[in-house]
Amino acid sequence: MNFEFNRFVEAMFDRSPPYILEHVQLVLIPLGIATAVAFPIGVLLTRPRFRRYTDRVMGIFNAGQTIPPLAVIAVFFPFFGLGYRPALIALTIYALLPIARNTLAGMSSVSPEVKEAARGMGMTEWQILNQVEIPLSLSVVMSGIKTSAVLTAGTAALAALVGGKGMGAVIFAGINFFRMELILAGTLYIAIIALAIDRLLSFIEGRLTPSYMK
Amino acid sequence: MVKIIKGAVHDMIRLEKVYKTFPNTTVPAVDKISFTIEKGNICVFVGPSGCGKTTILRMINRLVEPTGGSIYIDGENIMETDADQLRRRIGYVIQQIGLLPHRTIGQNVGLVPRLLKWPEDRINKRVMELLEIVGLDPRETARKYPYQLSGGQMQRAGVARALAVDPPIMLMDEPFGAVDPIVRGHLQDEFLRLQQEVKKTICFVTHDINEALKMGDYIVVLNAGKLVQKGTPLEMLSDPANDFVKDLIGDDRGVKLLDLTRAESLLQASTSETDKAVRECSCYIDAVQPVKMALEVMMKNNSDVVGIRRGSEVVGTLSWTEIKQHINKISGDQ
Amino acid sequence: MEVILNVINFILNNSSRILEYTINHFSLVFTVLGFSLVLWITVGLLISKYDRYAGSVIGLANIIFVIPSISLFGIFVTIPQLGLGRKSAALALILYAMMPLVRNVYRGVKSVDQSVLESGRGMGMSDTEILFQIQIPMAWPVVFAGIRVTAVMITGMATVATFIGERNLGRLIHHGITRGNEDIIIAGAVVVSLIALMLDFILGKVEKKLTSPGLRQSG
Repeated sequence: MNFEFNRFVEAMFDRSPPYILEHVQLVLIPLGIATAVAFPIGVLLTRPRFRRYTDRVMGIFNAGQTIPPLAVIAVFFPFFGLGYRPALIALTIYALLPIARNTLAGMSSVSPEVKEAARGMGMTEWQILNQVEIPLSLSVVMSGIKTSAVLTAGTAALAALVGGKGMGAVIFAGINFFRMELILAGTLYIAIIALAIDRLLSFIEGRLTPSYMK
Repeated sequence: MVKIIKGAVHDMIRLEKVYKTFPNTTVPAVDKISFTIEKGNICVFVGPSGCGKTTILRMINRLVEPTGGSIYIDGENIMETDADQLRRRIGYVIQQIGLLPHRTIGQNVGLVPRLLKWPEDRINKRVMELLEIVGLDPRETARKYPYQLSGGQMQRAGVARALAVDPPIMLMDEPFGAVDPIVRGHLQDEFLRLQQEVKKTICFVTHDINEALKMGDYIVVLNAGKLVQKGTPLEMLSDPANDFVKDLIGDDRGVKLLDLTRAESLLQASTSETDKAVRECSCYIDAVQPVKMALEVMMKNNSDVVGIRRGSEVVGTLSWTEIKQHINKISGDQ
Repeated sequence: MEVILNVINFILNNSSRILEYTINHFSLVFTVLGFSLVLWITVGLLISKYDRYAGSVIGLANIIFVIPSISLFGIFVTIPQLGLGRKSAALALILYAMMPLVRNVYRGVKSVDQSVLESGRGMGMSDTEILFQIQIPMAWPVVFAGIRVTAVMITGMATVATFIGERNLGRLIHHGITRGNEDIIIAGAVVVSLIALMLDFILGKVEKKLTSPGLRQSG
């Protein structure tokens, strides 16, 4: 096996760190945008007026994950060329589905009795949404965002292929030169980044949960 | 009826010193219980949650294996038969019914016959018969799926399924619990009517004492795994064994008794006065009707007496005073 | 637009190569699916019976799933016994299939209503009869959803296997990128996307057909 511990240490502490920040950006930016898009749409789809669009919209989100990410990046090529931007767009599209799906599932699982009681107390639709439905579905939605974060962190490795930088560069270098240390180091950092973002999201979730629900 | 020796033809189900301790518990769920259930009777197990009634029921078809003691069905020790075979000969109805959602009602009802490899046309015929018996439209219902049925309909389908191979014994665990009281009342009445025809040996579990009094030929009261009292509803009401049973029955024991006492048992001779009063308001009840009925008639017609008839012949009267005395006598030993 | 014409042109001119790539792609996908279904459905059934292992097995599947596909491909490639090409790709893909399949089999089996199992046992169904007449039909929709997700996922991930020597549809895209030729990139992307979408669509139809009408309403 092509593995030497020294070179692994070198890979971990010398070769990889420059790419950490790039990779984090490649995860957080698409995640943020995807959440900003998928979450509101998911919420909208649970409103009676828009319920009939659910199948079609979810179909679009589903396509975003069905089409291989590489292809998505490639399809945007003629419009944005290669590089950072198309990679970001592709990753954002890829990140949409888990968030949308979990938002839908979380909101649907709020028991009708609770909503009924709130309505009976005189809360407006908007108040019910903000103070009842969203807090109660928060954990499911967050779980969707976390899933999306992990998927994005992994898929972001492909961004390096199209000039998008990130930890993928280290991994591809490892493949091209047959050096497992590089592959391992790159992978490890991606896992660390994914874990860190997961923790961050849990922290945010904790902050967002009203104290009486903890 | 002569009760001969143990294991006689009339003892359909017999429990001897049956007990059950679940793993990781010290207190037995069922504590050395013995009793018999005679053929053709409905025996109701009643008691608070955790008293062991469901556990005993499920030991009879070995869904729970007894830790000790023996259970005999029709003289055979159930531990000596293969469990699956045993269960195919016992009808089993549970509260949540448990119809297979991915099969039609027809397929559900015909499940055990199919397991026993009956020929298809015999199964179909039997399914149609059964749906009819439980009050469902055979042609309509057979091809529907469970989700298309109401709670009451599903319950009936569950009973039909249990009757499929005409098992001599049926075990029923709160079978009418999942429906509202009105539907429950109807289901109970129809079931009792059905039982008149088929005369099965039935073990029925409920936590509702009123259901027990209504449905049971015999009632077995259980508490914390022990048998507290066994007897007919009349025996329970007139002669409760201890405070626990009294509490279970409730304060209206006397009135409940009226439901079970026939008018003829409190019959008094008519006098000319009573004859006149009764004729004026034309308040009559039949001799075999419950005394409670007499009260209803009295209240409706604002009368103190009713006449008791057998057929068209008036044989006596019953007065409010007499009823009051009877209730006091019963409740007297509070 | 000119781009569309060029793309169509390219596809038509290179149809034999594209066909070769497509066949390779699917032979990889079906090989992987074949092994994965047998292996992971069995594992899923086992952990639904032996609950105490469920947590660790699903945990393991999750950890594997988190590893970027390119990493796993790369790691296997550097192992001499595997090297470039099909063996590494297949092994990695089979490992990725673990998560959706095992998880869905477990969830599907566990989701079967207890009262239906109870009434089945009470009627005298043997363990085998319960497995085949109750558990499998009732777990099937969830299981098949898992199979569908896995099939589409594997198809997508297989494109990345281009980088470790597989001659499949990902290669079109790669060629385009390395040569800076727009048309090839788009052609590759379009073909792959269409195939993935079609697969998902077909499997969706199959899923509907195979689910009992009595189950579609529940859950």
